[in-house]
Amino acid sequence: MFKKLIEESTGKSPWLFHINAGSCNGCDIELVSVLTPRYDAERLGFKLAGSPRHADIVVVTGPITAQSLPRVLRSIEQVPDPKCIVTMGSCPQSGNVFRGSYSVAGPLSKYVHVDVDVAGCTPKPEAVIDGLHLATQILQQKRKEMKK
Amino acid sequence: MELILSALKSLAYVLIFPGFLFCFLSGMLLCGIDRKLVARMQKRVGPPILQPFYDFFKLCGKETIVPAAANKVMFLMAPLLGLASLVVLQLFIPVFQYQIPAFAQVADVIVILYLLLIPAVSIILGGASTGSPYAGVGLSREMVTVLACELPLVLVLLSVGKVVGAESDGGICFSMTGIVNYQLAHGSLITHAGLIPAAIAFLLVIPGETGNHPFDAAEAETEICEGMLAEYSGAPLGVFKLNHAIKMLTMTSLFVMLFFGGIGSGLESLVALVGLTGTAARVVGMLLAVLVLFLLCVIVTAVGISFVHAVTARLKIEQIFKYYWTVVSGLALLSLVLVWYGL
Amino acid sequence: MKYIDLLNFLNPQHFPIFAIMLYFLGAFFIVLFGKNRIARNCIAFLATGLSLTLLILLVKPIFLDGGIIAYWMGGRIPAGGYAIGIALEVDALGLFFGLLVATAVFVSCLYSFSYMSEDDNEPQYYTLFLMLAGGVLGMVFSGDLFNMFIMVEILTFAAVALTAFRNRVTGALEAAFKYLVVGCIGSTCILAGTILLYQQAHTLNLAQLATIIPNCHGTNVTVAFVLLFIGFCTKAFIVPFHPLAADAHGAAPAPVSVLISGVLTKSGIYGIIRLTFFLFQMMNLGAVQFWLVFLGSVSMFVCVTMALAQHDFKRLLAFHSISQIGYVLTAVGLATALGASAGLYHAMNHTLFKGLLFLCAGAVLHETGTTDLGKLGGLSKKMPWTTVLFLIGAASISGIPPFNGFASKWLIYQATYEKAVETGNIGFAFVTIVALVTSTLTLASFVKVTQSVFFGQLPKECENAKEVSWGMRLAMSILAILCTLTGLFPNAVQKFLTQPAARTMYNVSQYIDGMFQKGYAVQEMGMSAPEAAAVRFETVGVWNPGNWLILLLIALLSICIVAVASKYDAVRQNKSEKVEAKYSLFYGGEPTEFSQVGGGDLFWGFKHNWRHYFSFMHDLHSGIVNDYSLWAVVALALAMVYALIVL
Repeated sequence: MFKKLIEESTGKSPWLFHINAGSCNGCDIELVSVLTPRYDAERLGFKLAGSPRHADIVVVTGPITAQSLPRVLRSIEQVPDPKCIVTMGSCPQSGNVFRGSYSVAGPLSKYVHVDVDVAGCTPKPEAVIDGLHLATQILQQKRKEMKK
Repeated sequence: MELILSALKSLAYVLIFPGFLFCFLSGMLLCGIDRKLVARMQKRVGPPILQPFYDFFKLCGKETIVPAAANKVMFLMAPLLGLASLVVLQLFIPVFQYQIPAFAQVADVIVILYLLLIPAVSIILGGASTGSPYAGVGLSREMVTVLACELPLVLVLLSVGKVVGAESDGGICFSMTGIVNYQLAHGSLITHAGLIPAAIAFLLVIPGETGNHPFDAAEAETEICEGMLAEYSGAPLGVFKLNHAIKMLTMTSLFVMLFFGGIGSGLESLVALVGLTGTAARVVGMLLAVLVLFLLCVIVTAVGISFVHAVTARLKIEQIFKYYWTVVSGLALLSLVLVWYGL
Repeated sequence: MKYIDLLNFLNPQHFPIFAIMLYFLGAFFIVLFGKNRIARNCIAFLATGLSLTLLILLVKPIFLDGGIIAYWMGGRIPAGGYAIGIALEVDALGLFFGLLVATAVFVSCLYSFSYMSEDDNEPQYYTLFLMLAGGVLGMVFSGDLFNMFIMVEILTFAAVALTAFRNRVTGALEAAFKYLVVGCIGSTCILAGTILLYQQAHTLNLAQLATIIPNCHGTNVTVAFVLLFIGFCTKAFIVPFHPLAADAHGAAPAPVSVLISGVLTKSGIYGIIRLTFFLFQMMNLGAVQFWLVFLGSVSMFVCVTMALAQHDFKRLLAFHSISQIGYVLTAVGLATALGASAGLYHAMNHTLFKGLLFLCAGAVLHETGTTDLGKLGGLSKKMPWTTVLFLIGAASISGIPPFNGFASKWLIYQATYEKAVETGNIGFAFVTIVALVTSTLTLASFVKVTQSVFFGQLPKECENAKEVSWGMRLAMSILAILCTLTGLFPNAVQKFLTQPAARTMYNVSQYIDGMFQKGYAVQEMGMSAPEAAAVRFETVGVWNPGNWLILLLIALLSICIVAVASKYDAVRQNKSEKVEAKYSLFYGGEPTEFSQVGGGDLFWGFKHNWRHYFSFMHDLHSGIVNDYSLWAVVALALAMVYALIVL
């Protein structure tokens, strides 16, 4: 019964940890707007966590600059399982306008398995919420597969 | 046989009511209601009321990572110690006149003041044991917050002890039973003019003591990564969140018992009005009392925690200290002086 | 004939003098045979162990049967109404302090065996150590004022020498010098007071003085009182003599710190009690009560804030020592039976937990070579025993239930507030508030120590630290167990130890009669003979640590069972040699680096609000001996003016 309870709850309380990997701040602001009264992602249980140790979903914004890459990877490593990685905006997926720059190490999927990509420059809050919701479902699935 | 029966009885008290299960359910519910209320005050829809339960169970299903720098035993034991001490503390707070007689002679209000330190110390020890510098900063702030709340709380409790003890031979009374009985006989203490500033001071202390916004500098998630909890993950983190919820219940119910304890006599007459007597009256009265207590806790939470949360921004640590040692302590001191000179 | 003499030796009548002599003989024999390590340790162990045993054997006749042992050296009993001989008188109060002394001495002697083993000049150490112990015990048991002075001198000089014992440590000689100077001012005061009293009463016997002095009124007597009082205050390091303690504790080896804080300060408190309750019998005066309570509260608060500003483990403990002595003085100064009992209880607890804490500090110093809070950290992984024992001590001193510090502090709160309500004086209520807030400040500074010594990150310099030897652990464990037991059974402690001792404080005529014969006090003093006061020890609050602990254990156990059953302990831990990224600490993504939040300025939020106070205090404590001597003189002058005005 507790197993079921935990699985149910996993889908209802995803906590976010946000990593800025060289973003222009557009996506960062948009992510915050998701939590404001207008879109209020908290009704789905979303909450911004302060430390990767508390997080379920890691949201990465920015084109993964060479400077930020080891730090991004280390922070993702520190998130306890089950976890989901969501890229937000086009930058972490493709490099966007920064593609080919000497200082950009992206895309993120070269280094870790990315669960959900939310494309757009910047993505609309609706799209972000949709992406996060998808991530939640993946999270739930991962929890089911996780051996405890 | 007698012994086993009484052992089972106290086990039931500790585990079910007013112990662990009751604390767990009502504390979490209170926390959920608080989050909902804050959301509504900010014109948001807000999370479901059961959200803290989801959070807790989700955390139970996550990995628990012990950092390499941490002291494992302390890391894992600290949350449990805090939980146990809070659950035991809740046993000493009566539900109006329906206190379990076995616990009435264990701890008085001054002891409760000190027992409240144990959860704070346990979270400090847990944070310190991780070795994280964020935890170091967090525990410093937590300790200063505790210090800040201590002075007004002491003043409030001394004033209450003076008023309640006016008729007893010692001139003071600190026992919880004595305080509730006084209120049953003379009406709630909130109606006592001299104690109104003390009640306000206590109400203002509640968010500081529980570490709620705007007095949550110790667990500021945006500045110091939730301070002492920075390295906690999985079930131990869940237990700390649970401790926070139970502390909200403890503080609010303490407030209700100190200042609204007189409502119990009304409940009794209500039960009598329905025509119940004997054991049935006691059982129904007790259930009703628990319900009323919880409702009052919700109201206190709404006023003391949620409203304050919704309308203020987080204070800096030295502002918290200053606020409590000047404004709130001033109110409490006013009350002590008023009470002392017979108001 | 010989056989009968031997039996006579086993009479409890002789035990007090034997206990004192054992220390001094031990000191003597160590000088003779101390070159051999085993002989030295055996002598020290026997001397301390036997005299503790002798004192424990006295518990029954004195505490339980309420007797008093008066012992005339060489059988020179008083003749012609004048007590010329040297007398020892042991009542419950004296024995109470004697027991504290013997216990602390015994435990720190055990600890010394391994702690001091690497020092040179060990024989001299034990000689001085036993001299100090004998001095304090002699002072506590002494039945006449001049012998009290002699013993105070012995203990002061032994303590000064021991402070400078590790004279290669920076500041040790300086500390000893300061102690010597201000200690001498104190001793001189005591001597001057004694002379004035002798001039007035023509006797030095305490009991006889107690019959004469209360009937004398005059400037002489008042001046003598003030001189003696200030003298004993220096011994107890009451504010403004507190900076000495800090220096002395910082420099002295840990077992000596135990003696200075647990034993030497107690001798000062004992002197003050004898002075105010017995010799002058002026505790019923509001002015004297105010004086003691005021000094106590000021010591309590000033020293705890000074402790918060320290960044050296032992100095911090030293300031706490005075803060706790402030509690004792406050409680005793209330002049209520409950207050006296609570004060004595706290005095006992202070000896136990402060001894434990100093021994822990010594263990840390022994393993890491430093007590600077900024240079330590993370020792809990290297020294788990010491950590647990330290936590017990820290919880005790900060008044965390169910340890002993809480039990006695709680009684002190009750006593002060009861006094406030009884007298209707709101000032005593503020004393309660100061006491409560001080207790939390104490907790804060021990949180600081816990974080910066035992938790947090391990600096490179401390990586070779390991758990201390069994001998040291045994000594610390004895004190930790005593801390827990005296906290869990407050009623038993009060009933069998502190209340009998407190009762004697309110029964001065018994003390006088005990020295001479029954009815002596009435015969000498007539109408003004002190009567046994009706003493009431009832408290208004309820605190039942046993039941609370049982409930806590039930709750903890059941929570643990639930936790283990639901795989709470199934944790992911670093397995490989190198620390993987997953198990390293979160630094915002940066690789782990050494960053310990040290003790220097941990409670910034608090200190910022009190910055003017702290900078004032900082300027005041200049560390110059001239200043501290000046403080002593000013304190004496102020006390004199106050006393001449109000008494």
